[in-house]
Amino acid sequence: MDIIANFAQGLVTVLQPENLLYCFIGCFLGTFIGVLPGIGSMAAIAMILPLSFYLDPISALVMIAGVYYGAEYGGSIASILMNIPGTPSSSITCIDGYPMAQSGRAGVALFVTSIASFGGGIIGMVVMAVLSPALASLALSFGPAEYFSVILLGLIAASAVSNGGALKGIAMVFAGLMLATVGIDLTTGDLRFTLGIPELRDGVNLVIVAMGLFGVGELIASILANREGRGRQEIDYSQFYPTKAEWWASLGPILRGGGIGSFFGALPGTGQTVASAVAYAVEKKVSKNGGQFGKGAVEGVAVPESANNSATQTAFIPTLTLGVPGSASMAMVIGALMIHGITPGPRILTDHADLFWGLVASFLVGNIMLLILNIPLIGMWVRLLQIPYRLMYPTIIVLICIGVYSLNNNVFDIWLTLLFGVMGYLMRLFRFEPAPLLIGFVLGPMMEEQMRRAMLLSRGDPMVFIERPISGALIAITVCILIYGLWSTLHGRRRSRLAALPTAE
Amino acid sequence: MKNASLHRRPLLLALALAGALALPLTEASAEAGAWSDEPVRIVVTFPPGGTSDLVARLLAKHLDASFGQKAVVDNRPGAAGTVAADYVAQQAPDGATLMIANNAPFTIAPTQFETLPYEPMAGFTHIAYIGASAPGLFVKPDSGVTSVAEFVELAKAQSIAYGSSGVGSISHILGEAVDAALGIETLHVPYQGSAPAIQDFRAGVLDTFYDMVAQNSEMIEDGEAVAIAIAASERFPGVPEVPTFVEQGYDIVIENWVGLSGPAGIDPEVAATIHDATLEVFALPEVIKALEDLGITHRAMPSADYVSFVEKQIDVWKPLIVAAGVQGK
Repeated sequence: MDIIANFAQGLVTVLQPENLLYCFIGCFLGTFIGVLPGIGSMAAIAMILPLSFYLDPISALVMIAGVYYGAEYGGSIASILMNIPGTPSSSITCIDGYPMAQSGRAGVALFVTSIASFGGGIIGMVVMAVLSPALASLALSFGPAEYFSVILLGLIAASAVSNGGALKGIAMVFAGLMLATVGIDLTTGDLRFTLGIPELRDGVNLVIVAMGLFGVGELIASILANREGRGRQEIDYSQFYPTKAEWWASLGPILRGGGIGSFFGALPGTGQTVASAVAYAVEKKVSKNGGQFGKGAVEGVAVPESANNSATQTAFIPTLTLGVPGSASMAMVIGALMIHGITPGPRILTDHADLFWGLVASFLVGNIMLLILNIPLIGMWVRLLQIPYRLMYPTIIVLICIGVYSLNNNVFDIWLTLLFGVMGYLMRLFRFEPAPLLIGFVLGPMMEEQMRRAMLLSRGDPMVFIERPISGALIAITVCILIYGLWSTLHGRRRSRLAALPTAE
Repeated sequence: MKNASLHRRPLLLALALAGALALPLTEASAEAGAWSDEPVRIVVTFPPGGTSDLVARLLAKHLDASFGQKAVVDNRPGAAGTVAADYVAQQAPDGATLMIANNAPFTIAPTQFETLPYEPMAGFTHIAYIGASAPGLFVKPDSGVTSVAEFVELAKAQSIAYGSSGVGSISHILGEAVDAALGIETLHVPYQGSAPAIQDFRAGVLDTFYDMVAQNSEMIEDGEAVAIAIAASERFPGVPEVPTFVEQGYDIVIENWVGLSGPAGIDPEVAATIHDATLEVFALPEVIKALEDLGITHRAMPSADYVSFVEKQIDVWKPLIVAAGVQGK
């Protein structure tokens, strides 16, 4: 009952006109920024951070949070329409969203992502309201060994994301892992593969890899294919609404995606990209429609969007209750609170309960605002597809450049993005998928860091991964998945040989 | 990279585009006490939200309020602050580009990295010292350790692992300095920033950690951690109950300082104006309070003293960095 009373109190705070206004500003700015490729929530938060210093702490937090989850709503739009992810985490949405758009179902895809983002957001909010203390202590029971094991599980799951055959998928995961070794070795301080370039000392930024491989790669491919501007299609608004069957098909993925996303969001460091990748991989295995994934399955659009949006909400749990920011954006949230003299930590639930519950309630208000904002805009977004390529492409390139430049205010990053663009185009030519590479790239450094830390702390004893109960259980699940994967591959092959069918892949 | 004219054109273009996106580039308006017609850019070596960033934003806000000198904060994180320092060193010495200087690019990097694209002393005009915070040693309350002497005993009896904010970070350097001064050997476990290290400390994975003392005053109050010593010459007013290493007979002082610097060759008169304005801002009671909340003790220092301070810090840190084994790679 406490939760409901607290939540109601939070709602009263948020529904004050001034807080409503800041919530709206945050959500609107977030969606807008999220649509633009390369400019993510981090750049947007950096932009409004100085403004937040002049506001009440609660208004500031509500506005920054609005930007953060608003960007996840917007991020999927360019993924679906142009195969260019607005934020790194929505690159998973490209996999099924773009094929849907190509077959004339862009409106449906956008509608489903809005609903899925809303569903995921609400699930994340409920999890945060009910389970914050529990999840905070769960995150505390995750030491280096547990992190390593859960990341390993995620990585094994992620190699299933690929559509171009298992071998190519695994090859791409490894390419991502290798790419991630560039930069300072976090355990010894040695420089690895930096080629004497100071900008590479911190490694390659995720946004650069995502924008290069997906965004610039897609542009190069489209230009070389010499596509002419699409003709003016008539837009029929009734075709935006998903069919009854599509509604039902999306429901399960939204719930599962929301659950998986909430878990990964609450683990500091893993975040939205991992959440949507793992949720997608799980859904592909679980779904009855798994074979259609990658070819424009509505489930494949619903699940990553639900997952990344719920992860966005639960990312606030470790940030606020432990003072541990999982990402650069969350670090800025902590900075914004510290300037108001509030130090996030275990005491925030008691000392600043109004702030915490105000934020939770703002998730409800903000997600409703975003839904109302996004559904009517679908028509406008779909209309964007009618803009001739000769106008569209230069605009996108400029936006990507601004976005990448805004990461470190460094021109070097723009050249690097171009390099990854060429690589993305070559991968496309040879039918290698960028998504598994991206996942390997995100998970690689975390896995290495946690493994070496666990080994340091165990004084070199590898048994630590099996002896600690949570870690042991995670390893066991990973082994089961591997054995099942091997078994089903062998089994499937024998069956197909018996049926004397030509191998499709 | 070195060719400034080649470098600048795409930069200006991108800046213009960024301006179109409503980044805070306001038009100029010079008033008395201001030194630049254009908005001054204060470059910060870290992403937004950290201590350096908050100091820069405080300064920017009050430069505008007190002198009408428009100033914007420009975060250029990366490569332990060397990216930002390299960038600032290449800018025109007109006072329109300044940076929040700190240990990372100026006292640690010169020893840590074999080659640097800039000269920490000759490449800069070091204008004003701002202040410093101090790190300390934290242990678990149930370890029963309350003093450095007891810590030495414990470390000799069993293997102790400590968490730091990263290889070559201030907390790592302090850890190595403590090991050397106390004649003990502890196991260094690096993290990315202090927050994840503290998380593992809370979870019982780590026995001890080193971090800025003021930032962890709540943990001390709540009895979740005991700070047995602070590496400052005097106790910090915000947490007066934490004794210094010096009081306990160990000469360990590590200053996590911040200052205001610009590219080499700033006109001495302009530099003096900047120095005086900065000093006035950091003498405001409201600003002193805000700095104290960040754990920073402010000291006024003439520009000449600040220059020799930075020079001396490089020498003070050199043996510590070499001992930490993060040098020349």
